[in-house]
Amino acid sequence: MARYGMLINTKKCIGCYACRVACQRQNDLLPTQDFIRYEEHETGTYPNVAIETVPLQCMHCEDAPCAAVCPTGAAYIGADGIVGVDEGRCIGCKYCMAACPYQVRVHNEKTGTVDKCRFCTVSAETSGTKMCSCVEACLTGARIFGDLDDPASDISKEIAATNAQPIAGDLTKSKVFYVR
Amino acid sequence: MSFEPIWGAIIAWYLFLAGLGGGAFITSAFLGWRHPEAVSMRKVGHLIAPIAVIVGLVLLMFDAEGGLHNPLRFALLLTNFGSVMTWGVVFLGGFTVVALVVVVLDFLKKSVPVWLDIVGVVFAVCVGAYTGALLGVCKTFPLWNNALLPILFLVSAVSAGAASVLLVAVIRHADEFNRVGVLKKFHFCLPIIELVLVAALMFITSSNSVAGWNSVMSLLVGSYAPLFWIGLVLIGLVLPTALETWLLFFSPKEFEESRKAHWISFGSDAGVLVGGFLLRFLVVMAALPVTITVPML
Repeated sequence: MARYGMLINTKKCIGCYACRVACQRQNDLLPTQDFIRYEEHETGTYPNVAIETVPLQCMHCEDAPCAAVCPTGAAYIGADGIVGVDEGRCIGCKYCMAACPYQVRVHNEKTGTVDKCRFCTVSAETSGTKMCSCVEACLTGARIFGDLDDPASDISKEIAATNAQPIAGDLTKSKVFYVR
Repeated sequence: MSFEPIWGAIIAWYLFLAGLGGGAFITSAFLGWRHPEAVSMRKVGHLIAPIAVIVGLVLLMFDAEGGLHNPLRFALLLTNFGSVMTWGVVFLGGFTVVALVVVVLDFLKKSVPVWLDIVGVVFAVCVGAYTGALLGVCKTFPLWNNALLPILFLVSAVSAGAASVLLVAVIRHADEFNRVGVLKKFHFCLPIIELVLVAALMFITSSNSVAGWNSVMSLLVGSYAPLFWIGLVLIGLVLPTALETWLLFFSPKEFEESRKAHWISFGSDAGVLVGGFLLRFLVVMAALPVTITVPML
């Protein structure tokens, strides 16, 4: 079975937020639900400084702290390795939001439950469903989605070529890789 | 980048009340052991225990909106025994049942069997310590992710529970209040232990990561500094210690048993309760996550 992951190239990211807008429309989210969160990170020492925009979202960790702490089993790791939320089981205790080191889980103020990136773009990949996910919406092609276990996939080749790394090393065995 | 705390005052109140309930039950058991003549005070502790915990649990349910809208989902809380919260539900459930049975026994004027007292105390210790472990397992927040927190919360829980019983005793059972010297001496030690634990938490958290340093600084010199120094350290820990040191060890016995001294004790116990709540509130609110303040980024 495929082990889906994503590559985000912050060197190509121009900070336009198109991915978040696309995500909110694709997944029919409330304006306050942002599955993608941006951090502006200063690098270098004056006078040679730069600001890097880092889009953060659910890393679909193989060692997911949210699923470990969820008391009701609403947060789970699916058979395909994608971390999901079973909304019908969520009581909204927000324990998963506290446990997520990346702080990318968001509270739905209407239902009181917690949600996050669903890797929706997988259905575009597997069944060719027409959609406009973050990957398709990115103007600069900063995002690549695919099978991390297939050495011939675009994402695997790009990760190898660019020496991409998860945002926090092996902290949670994340499946989102960054070029920085 | 600013960070909005995930949990707020409601959760702080819950953590405080759950601890206070457990502490009140432990205080009652201690009274039964060392001061069996203080029957009324013992009953006060028995009554405070389930009330505090149940009020706390109701607050918790209001905070968990997903469950509030669909109450049946709360039954699912017992499905993941890898989660500290699931264990908390077990401890709170067990404790509440025991505490309510004890209240019924008191009402029927029957004596509480020793084994039931022991079971209740074990559950009470679990409840007090679990509230710290609940936060402690979140690697996200260095201020929480350490082994000191369950101990600190447990000590604070017993301290607040004893303070609540003594507070009521000043108003309603002054005669018994004068005769529970051993309890008062144990109660006197707890804020001192807490002071040491809080200092240790500050030193260690500030040195383990940038986020830890920033969390500690927001408490010591940042936006939470007035609450930390005046509320927690001064009113909650130093003042009770100073007042009780004077009353227990330096004031003449006639004064110690006077009504004036009782009200000074009342003030010191009220301070302990304020400190108990502020400890939870500050720990919940001041914690900063590793990935925002520093980037591992």
